[in-house]
Amino acid sequence: MKRSIRTLVGAGALAAASAWGAGAQAAGDTIKVGVLHSLSGTMAISETTLKDTVLMLVDDLNKKGGLLGKKVEAVVVDPASNWPLFAEKARELISKDKVDVVFGCWTSVSRKSVLPVFEELNGLLFYPVQYEGEESSRNVFYTGAAPNQQAIPAVDYLMGADGGAAKRWVLLGTDYVYPRTTNKILRSYLHAKGVADSDIMENYTPFGHSDWQTIVGEVKKFASAGKRTAVVSTINGDANVPFYKELANQGIKAEDIPVVAFSVGEEELAGLDTGPLVGHLAAWNYFMSVKAPENDAFIKKWHAYIKDTKRVTNDPMEAHYIGFNMWVQAVEQAGTTEVNAVRQAMYGQRVKNLTGGVSVMNPNHHLSKPVLIGEIQSDGQFEVVWNTDGLVVGDAWSDFIPESAKLTADWTFPWVCGNCEKPKYPVN
Amino acid sequence: MFDFLRSFVAVLLLALGLAGIPVVAAADAVTDGLAGLADRSFSRKVEAVAQLGASGDQRAETILNALLDGRLYVRNADSAVVIGEERGKAFLVADPTAGAEAAEAAIADFTKITVNNRMRGAIRGALGALTLFSADAGTRAAAADAVFKTPTADMLPLLDKALARETDNGVKRRMERAWAAVAAVGAGETAERLAAIETLGSFADPDVRSLLGGLAVGNGEVAQAAGLTLRRIDESLVLWGAVGNVFQGVSLGSVLLLAAVGLAITFGVMGVINMAHGELVMLGAYTTFVVQEAFRAHLPGAFDMSLFVAVPAAFLVSGLVGIALERGVIRFLYGRPLETLLATWGISLILQQLVRSVFGPTNREVGSPSWMSGAYETASGLVLTYNRIAIIVFSLMVIGVIALILRKTSLGLSMRAVTQNRRMAGAMGIRTGRVDALTFGLGSGIAGVAGVALSQIDNVSPNLGQSYIIDSFMVVVFGGVGNLWGTLVGAFSLGIVNKFLEPYAGAVLGKIFVLIAIILFIQKRPRGLFAPKGRAVEA
Amino acid sequence: MRSAAGPIVTAVLGDATGRIVVGLLVAAAVAVPVLNLMVPAGSPLHVPPYVVALIGKYLTFALLALSVDLIWGFAGILSLGHGAFFALGGYAMGMHLMRQIGTRGVYGNAELPDFMVFLNWKELPWYWYGFDAFPFAALMVVLVPGVLALVFGWFAFRSRVTGVYLSIITQAMTFALMLAFFRNDMGFGGNNGLTDFKDILGFNLQAGGTRAVLFAASALAVAGAYALCRVIVASRLGRVLLAVRDAEGRVRFLGYRVEYYKLFVFVVSAMLAGIAGALYVPQVGIINPGEFAPANSIEIIIWVAVGGRGSLHGAILGAILVNFAKTYLTGAIPEIWLFALGGLFVAVTLFLPKGIVGTVPAFKFGGAGGGWRWRRLVPARGRSEERP
Repeated sequence: MKRSIRTLVGAGALAAASAWGAGAQAAGDTIKVGVLHSLSGTMAISETTLKDTVLMLVDDLNKKGGLLGKKVEAVVVDPASNWPLFAEKARELISKDKVDVVFGCWTSVSRKSVLPVFEELNGLLFYPVQYEGEESSRNVFYTGAAPNQQAIPAVDYLMGADGGAAKRWVLLGTDYVYPRTTNKILRSYLHAKGVADSDIMENYTPFGHSDWQTIVGEVKKFASAGKRTAVVSTINGDANVPFYKELANQGIKAEDIPVVAFSVGEEELAGLDTGPLVGHLAAWNYFMSVKAPENDAFIKKWHAYIKDTKRVTNDPMEAHYIGFNMWVQAVEQAGTTEVNAVRQAMYGQRVKNLTGGVSVMNPNHHLSKPVLIGEIQSDGQFEVVWNTDGLVVGDAWSDFIPESAKLTADWTFPWVCGNCEKPKYPVN
Repeated sequence: MFDFLRSFVAVLLLALGLAGIPVVAAADAVTDGLAGLADRSFSRKVEAVAQLGASGDQRAETILNALLDGRLYVRNADSAVVIGEERGKAFLVADPTAGAEAAEAAIADFTKITVNNRMRGAIRGALGALTLFSADAGTRAAAADAVFKTPTADMLPLLDKALARETDNGVKRRMERAWAAVAAVGAGETAERLAAIETLGSFADPDVRSLLGGLAVGNGEVAQAAGLTLRRIDESLVLWGAVGNVFQGVSLGSVLLLAAVGLAITFGVMGVINMAHGELVMLGAYTTFVVQEAFRAHLPGAFDMSLFVAVPAAFLVSGLVGIALERGVIRFLYGRPLETLLATWGISLILQQLVRSVFGPTNREVGSPSWMSGAYETASGLVLTYNRIAIIVFSLMVIGVIALILRKTSLGLSMRAVTQNRRMAGAMGIRTGRVDALTFGLGSGIAGVAGVALSQIDNVSPNLGQSYIIDSFMVVVFGGVGNLWGTLVGAFSLGIVNKFLEPYAGAVLGKIFVLIAIILFIQKRPRGLFAPKGRAVEA
Repeated sequence: MRSAAGPIVTAVLGDATGRIVVGLLVAAAVAVPVLNLMVPAGSPLHVPPYVVALIGKYLTFALLALSVDLIWGFAGILSLGHGAFFALGGYAMGMHLMRQIGTRGVYGNAELPDFMVFLNWKELPWYWYGFDAFPFAALMVVLVPGVLALVFGWFAFRSRVTGVYLSIITQAMTFALMLAFFRNDMGFGGNNGLTDFKDILGFNLQAGGTRAVLFAASALAVAGAYALCRVIVASRLGRVLLAVRDAEGRVRFLGYRVEYYKLFVFVVSAMLAGIAGALYVPQVGIINPGEFAPANSIEIIIWVAVGGRGSLHGAILGAILVNFAKTYLTGAIPEIWLFALGGLFVAVTLFLPKGIVGTVPAFKFGGAGGGWRWRRLVPARGRSEERP
């Protein structure tokens, strides 16, 4: 009897001991970078690459002598595509592992899940994926594109003569907040451009939707009304491959019905024979095919690190590249990794991006980046057919949603607020 | 080379036929057009493409084809347009006007000419005009379709000539369609245009519908006639839409069937709640990938045959893994079906991670052989994609083979004996352990074969199996556990019901309705569609 | 003691197992908050807030596992959809917490949650009414899962759907609910679910004190649910359930209305799962349709099986151990942890067929205390199992 109690208590103590664990030894000689990307489950397909990217950047930094004279150490955890687990792991990284910064998350819901944790513990998260906007947290830097850096330029292009002067629009998306918000913004933008509701078709499908026969058939039907039709796709993740396979098989050519996607990059195309898809488009802030010395160097480094010259690079990788370098610069400038100091040093930080320009961090925690529109080529790459002349400032709050148009995000004095209508002053 | 000669002859004929265009002028048009392609503006480039198309020059065809394939470059130094080709590390350039030998150059000195959709459309139109007289019927048909897509009034005389010369009935019909399109949008007499619309009415496909939709805008006789014809086409499209729905339902059903049929053996016949079934499917898909990689590396010419090798290979790989699982883990768990759930769940996690570690977490590209690409389109716009047809046929073949194995072979006899009464079968001298292993291997192998088919329509990623496992269990249980026929009927009925609901309810609600229907159906028939007959109250 | 304290106390605390389990849980409910709040951070005895949150989460899973063990271990109902009841309870609590945000949301709308504002909802859907009041929400936490279980069970048990057929339709149920909750048009926040909670009953959710109270509540809830399950199992009804598990047909032929017994225990179990969900949400800070995923429900079964089916403390132990393993492995060996976890499941099945409790002697609280009853609680093996 006694023995059993002891064993039970022992097991509890063991559990507790290892959970406390490393906490004590965090201080001092290394700077820790947390990596919060799913390595298993549904999102592993996209996020594992980003984990490798951060590891490569850390590796590279250490080779150059580290940061503030210290070695940088990456702490990798696996939130396993499980959203509550993201929150738990974020807490573990900040509280137990005492990391100085976290690079992570892909889906909106994973970001929403960790957000309260980062705000409570005053952590620092770099979020590298294009997203729906409508957010500006003090503790998050958004290095992916906001809707105005992706969706609106793409629609503009397709409306123009070069894009085929589309008059009728199909908005296809996965049923979650990013497509819903993007399409809401697009609908109101299209209205402003004189497109009637009868010329807009909106359709949502569940995650991982794999049978696209009906929907592609409907698109075809919708497009046969005599007006040039374009499809705007916010279809997410692994639903894309069956979607594009169905497009190819039903013979939808880009010349007839171009599909512009915001979630399809080089990585997604790697699983596809792109021969029949030539000409379909994507809007991003980066393409692997862009010719720039920084990009060439980055690709070379990536291939050397991953030991596979067939691996592609993509936009979220560039976002991590920019974010990581900005953080390094900000830490050097602040002379410390303390979150409040680094945050202040981040604003206005400039870093060479991979497409031959310079990206800037704005006080609303979003980047200024160029917008590129590329067409799919038969080798699985994109060819840029249009790009902005300069940088586009990322909008935290869309001008096309009435409730959010009046909000401002600005984290420099006197605003210090991510969603206010008038200036707010810091309390402490 | 042969193609080149043929098109040369064709263009020569064309040039002779169109005596109005002197050869010298054509040469100028080519040089001018070429210079225009070096411009940055797409509008200027589109003009240049039209110029090249109108030239009727055989070199224009070479240039436009090179442009379409992305092989046309501009020399940075002097803006000269050249055809470039990357051969390994070397970069060869040739002057497209002179036909001189290709010379080696540094790729850094050249910029590729960017082509976008708008240009691609223009190029196809221009090539259409240039290839209407090709010796190859397929090329002529494609040319007619290209003209149909970009109808301009000046194409009419060319089409008249081509029609007069055409002998192939199929191609002729496509040319008539193109002719009607050109005439309908053209600036001719109203009566002529009305007649053309009438002709278009006999082609009830979506492209024609689209064209007529454009014409039906506004008032006037032409618009009215177009509107009338449009309505007629729509009526026939509704009927064919229903046929299309059935096809899509059958196709979805065949996918469900393939995913479930292996489970119908391991779970249905053997009673193992095999949560690793999806991963065995995934292994089959990855086997396809490996086989195709081997073909790409060693036998690129025979790539179309790769699936014929992949099917037995996938059967072997998944089957052997299945036998290993049975011998290593599952055989200790017979009589405890719920424990098999736990163990196979663990195995599924391991297999997923194994594949992720070996092949990486990202999608792998599995190509479709050319005979599975594209679609059979009827005149009325019904699209039957070849890959779906192939999968339907394949699924029926698979279930046929299984039925044969179970009914006609001694192995099948032993299997049925062991599942019906293990002890008695053992007493009759059947090596039950061996039969168990082989049965599980068969079910697993079939799962692998399903993976080959699914690799044609879905992602080949470590998550592949997870997305089919629940549907598979639904199908097997709906059909009635232990009944192959039930699995077949269950899969197809779920597929068709789903596809008929989808247009009305949307993809998500449709699926929810199907799930609720399954729940209610099980209340009515608690042992599935084809319940095993017998007196047992509790099995 | 047995004679003095009445039958209920006897059923729960009458043997060593009951005393140890309840004792440990109550002790944890007191000790952990004290060690977290009162002991200074530098002390080796200090429990960091991170650990409080973690163990609090495990405890809600333990409650969920208990609810599954009650029906699976003692009535032979294998539900592959119990995550649905957990999630529904969680959503009920989440809706209350959303209503508590009030004007503190990003759009400052007093009436509508943020996700409704930017999806253009004009007014609050009717099914959100009442959730601003805690008592109503608390009622819904047990009522919604309870009613769903009642309706579902009524049909299923009356039609005598058993074994694997029942398991699969429960899976269909949770799968259908998952798809439904993923739809943004449903008004439950779609894929993002409900998040960004501020406070509960006026207390800030991010404050250490609130956390500690939630932790204590979870521990006490597990203890209470354990007691309830013990009472049910030890009662006459519990013995009929065991008989149903082992030979449903015979019990029916003896004249028992089997479906009512099953329905009762199924509804109780669903309500317990709902409470677990309600405690889980404020501690984790998010509820989304992922909780309905069939894989989650399968995992619950695995916790119970690892701990030992048919012994209530085994379910608690299994839930805590498997989740601790998951937490530990995803941090320690993030790249290959699935090998370890998968291997663990295979190993448990092969080498510990009765789960940890049934095999490892340290956890087999047999002997002196309440032996006669306990032996009956160990699951019967052999012909009793459901077979497809």
